[in-house]
Amino acid sequence: MTGVLRIEGLSVSYGGALAVDNVALAVPAGRIVALLGANGAGKSSLLQAVVGLVPSTVRQLSLGDTDLAGLSPERRADAGLSYVPEGRRVFPGLTVRENIEVGMDAGAAERGARVAGMLALFPDLADKASERAWRLSGGQQQMLAIARALVRRPRALLLDEPSLGLAPRVAQDVFHRLRAIADDGVAVLLAEQNAARALAIADEAVVLAHGSILLSGAAARLSPDDPVLTGLLAG
Amino acid sequence: MVTAQLLVNALALGAAYALVALGFVLVLNAAGAVNFAQGDMVMLGGVAAVTLSGLLTLAGVRLPGVVLLPLVVVVSGLVGLLVAALGFWPLRDRPPAAMFVATIALAAVFEQSAMAFFGPEPRTAPALWEGAALMIGGVAFGRQPLALILVAGLCVAGVYLLLERTQTGRRFRAVAQDRDMARALGIRAARLVVGAFALGGGLAGLAGALLGHQFFVHAGQGPAYMVKAYIAAAIGGWGSVPGALLGALLIALFETLVSAALSAVWAQALLYLTLLIILLWRPQGLFGEAIGQRA
Repeated sequence: MTGVLRIEGLSVSYGGALAVDNVALAVPAGRIVALLGANGAGKSSLLQAVVGLVPSTVRQLSLGDTDLAGLSPERRADAGLSYVPEGRRVFPGLTVRENIEVGMDAGAAERGARVAGMLALFPDLADKASERAWRLSGGQQQMLAIARALVRRPRALLLDEPSLGLAPRVAQDVFHRLRAIADDGVAVLLAEQNAARALAIADEAVVLAHGSILLSGAAARLSPDDPVLTGLLAG
Repeated sequence: MVTAQLLVNALALGAAYALVALGFVLVLNAAGAVNFAQGDMVMLGGVAAVTLSGLLTLAGVRLPGVVLLPLVVVVSGLVGLLVAALGFWPLRDRPPAAMFVATIALAAVFEQSAMAFFGPEPRTAPALWEGAALMIGGVAFGRQPLALILVAGLCVAGVYLLLERTQTGRRFRAVAQDRDMARALGIRAARLVVGAFALGGGLAGLAGALLGHQFFVHAGQGPAYMVKAYIAAAIGGWGSVPGALLGALLIALFETLVSAALSAVWAQALLYLTLLIILLWRPQGLFGEAIGQRA
């Protein structure tokens, strides 16, 4: 199994109930792996375990040459892992500019230049740079959450349901940008309920059900209308 | 003329209470739980000022209060670190109630320790700025209240600049709003929380030393300061820094102006009545904004 982000034998349990069961997958640089599954399939738990926000057991978890297992979330972020959580979770009381800037370990000039780069990449945010994040629309918050993750120049980007609650046109825009981000060499692991939209931009797909991988392969070979797939996604 | 003097006194008291409330809110935001030892940290600041002043006098050194203050702040900051080490760090992954209970225990330990080593009798902390009252526009103003307003004002402004204009301050606010997300961005949340305890301790100690000249220092006064900090935070909006400052000022206005116009008893009763009316009118407090995420 090759890839920048490598996961082997990862399990998550909550009070004895297994949410993720012995999952293995790899995300190569410049590729998007879509993590599909019904509500409660274990997608969010898997991403949170990789980021280090929920306890897990794992045989191997690495990013490039860095062994992530046992590291704190902070050190995993330093290693090049960035996370866009479900519900965006932007810092509501910080301005747009501050949200982008807050996670950077760099001098003021470097931070300013990189924030400007993100505002150029997401022009919708440029006019709102001094506004508190809670005043943004859902789509703008999603862009902000992605900009906040990207500004750290990650090697791997993990996104949890980025289209949730967004208007179709806005979701389409977000997904186009994700493809461009991957094309720049970032490994993207995309957890998504909307299979059609995810498969349209993904290189590979993994289908989770009850915490286990039931199906995986090239995204192009999976049809969102496939009865087996729709059955799995329906839970 | 009397009103002008009273206003200055109210402002001075409000400035000192603002330091107490600011320290309380900083820790509340950072740790996500109430530090119930905050009031006793104020008391320990007063004790530190009295004790350091006494020790230096014994050694033949007589320092003015303004020079003594940095020493008190350092000692109080260390007390804040002690509270973080015992009341926060071992419990950081437990529910907020664990820290609440642990800091109640620490508050009791501080109070009883001060009682044992300091004794029950009230003492006076050294004045910040000694000397006869200053005549401004024909009105006599005490030097201590003026110095208190200046020192507390500078400290509040300093903390504001730290929070609003520095990367550390941004990170501190991010941790206060969503600690897990901040950690996922590489922000060392635990270090910032411990730093908030040290800063909160320093502010509490400073307030204790400033208040200890006008209102004496005694081992049992911690809970009263704790209640003031709690009320200031509730009036201003739970977790709101400007709200806590406004709440502190309001408490001082009642304790000074209303107390002078009516009586101390009425001032207390009307303060609590006002608190109830504010909470009925705006349950989130004056500055507590219903922050939510738009769909």
